[in-house]
Amino acid sequence: MEDFEFRKRGLANPNDSSEDFIAAAQASAERTQWLQDLQALDARVHAAALSIVVPAGLAARLKSQADPATTTASVTPLPVRSRYQRYYAMAASLVITLGVIMSSGLWTARPSAADIKFHDDIIGHMYRETPRIDNATADLSMEEINQVIEAAGGHLREDERIKSAHIKFANDCNVVPSIKGAHIVLEGTKGSVSVIMIHNSPVSTEFDVNDPRFQGKIIPFGQGNLVILGEKEESLESYETLITETFEWVI
Amino acid sequence: MSDTPVLDDRRKKERYEALVDALYQDVYRYAYWICKNSALAEDLVQETFLRAWRSLDSLQNDKAAKAWLFTILRRENARLYERYRPELVDIEEQSIADSDENEPDQRMDRRLLHEAIGKLEKDYRDPLMLQVIGGFSGKEIAEILQLNNNTVMTRLFRARGKLRRVFFPDSELTDDFSEDDTFDEQS
Repeated sequence: MEDFEFRKRGLANPNDSSEDFIAAAQASAERTQWLQDLQALDARVHAAALSIVVPAGLAARLKSQADPATTTASVTPLPVRSRYQRYYAMAASLVITLGVIMSSGLWTARPSAADIKFHDDIIGHMYRETPRIDNATADLSMEEINQVIEAAGGHLREDERIKSAHIKFANDCNVVPSIKGAHIVLEGTKGSVSVIMIHNSPVSTEFDVNDPRFQGKIIPFGQGNLVILGEKEESLESYETLITETFEWVI
Repeated sequence: MSDTPVLDDRRKKERYEALVDALYQDVYRYAYWICKNSALAEDLVQETFLRAWRSLDSLQNDKAAKAWLFTILRRENARLYERYRPELVDIEEQSIADSDENEPDQRMDRRLLHEAIGKLEKDYRDPLMLQVIGGFSGKEIAEILQLNNNTVMTRLFRARGKLRRVFFPDSELTDDFSEDDTFDEQS
């Protein structure tokens, strides 16, 4: 194989495994070195292309589109912003980006890829559990609630605020398959407020959830994580204070 | 015995959700490299999967799902956005994952690579990203882009040739291809 042909084929596909290409690569030390350099560059290109951050909660949002009612083509498509709105959005995005860059310390406070995966799993769990949560009407006792929480390695201290809260749902959850978590639901002023406790690796930083329906936070808490989620209109600060002051890990 | 409509709906939903779980990250990343803007990419992916959900019955073989989704995505991009806006050049910094294990020089290297990939002409970047992200063969890329195989291979070697010149400017074995050089498949 001529050198020119060899290099063209290498550049088109550095991992070409056909016999004639491999034989051509082994024909000289120079060619072997050239191909190794190219394969190393290709590995870096591959890693760079795959290092794009996938938005948190995207999988759950895509799944929520799967409504049998939207099967027919007559359904109104998702709203698409006008070109002008897009330009404004891009400009706003640039301003925000610059703001982030200018702000000290924020680069290190970004959630990692593992944190985002955890976030996506939480949101997916929420959408799966929502029908059960919305239909829950019980008024559970502290004993019933702690039975679930203790199975997940935690404990909720008896407190007047907790006693007066209406906790209508308590169940174990499998957001992290190998670790039993606890999911309790309080009756909020605008709907259900979920608290999820999981004794897994704490997220690298506290961060807000990103979802069209739910708002809330993922909070690294001791040797695990607390997640507090509610409807967009709900004020979650008091629930966060209540849980962080009364919950503890006991394992 | 035929399945009930409810069972059909449930199976369709399960099939769709499996498709999302398996492919949404690759589809998003390819969308990002097409439009180089995270908001546009997310909209594109949502449109793509909505269309996929509506026409899921037309997908006969799940092994072809990735090529099918990438093709839908390209059509949606052409339909919704491509003609309305100029090509963006800069990559959004916040779109690059900051992996904990990366040293500062590795992060810098990744940013330089992002810039270099982003600056490739669209005709070169497209097949390269289909090969790198999608893992498609030249023939599959040719079908997705509706080009012949030689054209795809020509664009791939030019794309890598350009990247190589950025990162190995002093290499002894230079890739001195001209714009007239094409990939002539050996028969």
